[in-house]
Amino acid sequence: MKLSCRSLEKSFGRVKALDGLSFDVPEGAFFALLGPSAAGKTTCLRTICGLDRPDRGTVSVDGEDVTQAPVQGRDLAMVFQSFALYPHLSTEQNLAYPLREAGLPSAEIKSRVGEMGELLRISHALGRKTTQLSGGEQQRVAIGRALIRRPKLLLLDEPLTNLDAKLRDEMRAEFKRLHRDLGITMVYATPDQLEAMTMADTIGVLQNGQITEIGTPDALYATPGSIGVARLVGSPPINLIEATGTGAELDLGFAKIPSDHRAQGALTLGLRPFDIQVADTAKTALLQGRVIVTEPLGDLEIVDVETSGNELKVALRGAQVGQAKPGDLLPLNFDANRLLYFDTKTGLRLDMSPVQN
Amino acid sequence: MAYRKAAFRKPGQAGWLYSLVTGVIALIYFFPVLWMILTAFKTRSDALAIPPKLFFTPTLDNFKSVFFRDTQAGDAVATGFVQYFVNSAFIGGSSVILALIIGTLAAYAFSRYPLKGNDTYMFIILTTRMLPPIVVIIPIFLMFRVTGLSGSYIGIILLYTAFNLPFSIWMMKSFFDDLNPEIEDSARLDGSNDWKVFFRICLPQVLAGLAATAVFALILTWNEFLFALLLTGSDTRTVPVAMANTIGGEIGVDWGLLSAIVSLFLIPVFIVTFVLQKQLLRGVTFGTIRK
Repeated sequence: MKLSCRSLEKSFGRVKALDGLSFDVPEGAFFALLGPSAAGKTTCLRTICGLDRPDRGTVSVDGEDVTQAPVQGRDLAMVFQSFALYPHLSTEQNLAYPLREAGLPSAEIKSRVGEMGELLRISHALGRKTTQLSGGEQQRVAIGRALIRRPKLLLLDEPLTNLDAKLRDEMRAEFKRLHRDLGITMVYATPDQLEAMTMADTIGVLQNGQITEIGTPDALYATPGSIGVARLVGSPPINLIEATGTGAELDLGFAKIPSDHRAQGALTLGLRPFDIQVADTAKTALLQGRVIVTEPLGDLEIVDVETSGNELKVALRGAQVGQAKPGDLLPLNFDANRLLYFDTKTGLRLDMSPVQN
Repeated sequence: MAYRKAAFRKPGQAGWLYSLVTGVIALIYFFPVLWMILTAFKTRSDALAIPPKLFFTPTLDNFKSVFFRDTQAGDAVATGFVQYFVNSAFIGGSSVILALIIGTLAAYAFSRYPLKGNDTYMFIILTTRMLPPIVVIIPIFLMFRVTGLSGSYIGIILLYTAFNLPFSIWMMKSFFDDLNPEIEDSARLDGSNDWKVFFRICLPQVLAGLAATAVFALILTWNEFLFALLLTGSDTRTVPVAMANTIGGEIGVDWGLLSAIVSLFLIPVFIVTFVLQKQLLRGVTFGTIRK
């Protein structure tokens, strides 16, 4: 099912939840709406499924305008952040509910509920009240109830927020598996870049009720269009460095790099923690960093260093892990080709290929 | 390092001392009811004995005379109390059910489809309960006389319904307010229309609240005296009014008879409260514990 939102606007009192929001989701896509809390993600999903009506703009499905269509008739399902299971019904009755409403014969309902129980591995819990299930099981029931009608479009509103970290890891893979196996279009709202990056094939960045950028996870990571998007995507977060362009050189405070003459005045540079390496010797190093904190993560270590007034996050890998101690001076190199250039005032990325040295 | 061991009390179990103190307080609370039930089984002289008798030979005479009165000729004549109990049950039951139906629907509307100035309307609804009954009884009495509702079942049932509505609405609204609205949204997405959302999704979730509201409304209505005294006729008289009529006469207050009536009168409320006890506890604590 192809979904298309055109300049959606929606206000709640004085608060503008959606402010001219537009995007397209092609058939079979896994589309992530990535944005901080209160950016309008939930309102966007509620508008798509018809629970909220937009003040202006249109929602169309497969080319047909459904903006004013009633909720009940739309061929889509939604998984809510709170799971929204029917607490007075058993797991089985929860799963059967949409089918009963659709008027399916009870034999058909029974077989589909059984199938869904198998698919989501909740067969053992079918007879129990949903209030007696664990968080992970409740989540599966919520997904099952959404999928059981075999909708063409599935909306997911921060479905992993209420789960603990380990379950979240498991469920991410589960969502990918479901998407691959069932081939339905999914729109997934999340404030967590990790979820968006790992699952989606396209990410729409939602900020202040507007889509500020759409792209593949790789593209958003490598060439974010603005400082805001650069900050939102990637973990550990990108290093932002205030720099000054002085003709042939760019002064980063802790290092000077050659530049063409376009980079003049105040600029903000983005540098991913993974693009900084430990130099072999102090002589070959571009800069020296004083280690403040280390965060070991097994075969990866995030090190915060301080250098000439800047604080940088550095991601160390392989043999370098565990070598740095707080207080050490760390000789560091970075690849100037990997720098991202942003206009400090507008926050937009400047398309500048750095000069080769 | 002397820790005071006594300051630490394990949750989940009370010591015998705490249980005993609670038991004594409970006995003080329950004593009037207990004494009344005992009195119901006493003869007239036992009931009035000084000092009061705790041990005596029980008799069922009082219960017999609730329903039958001996005439001077020695015949047993029905006192009409069967009718009064039926009246109380019918009037109380109907008005509670009516108030629950109207109140629940109104509460759902106030909760889910708030009007402009919703809180003002809620307040206005409650103001009718702020007037003391004695103030409104005279105009209501006159209106009932003019409309011919005086002495009829329909009149007193309507009055009690109106009487129970404000707090039925308030209580039920608080239960609806506590529900997760996403559950209703989910039902809409699953294809339910507004009626089904209400009856199959919302209502089953507030059954505990419904039970709590029903019990409170029933107790208030069951025990109501003033309106019943002035607005019911001899056919529609309720037990509290009939009970008051037995007080007085040449022989003074017949405490044994009165206690027997009240003991019987308590039974239905006891049963309803007991049956709904589990729901009631959930009802009154609803929303105080977040899941």
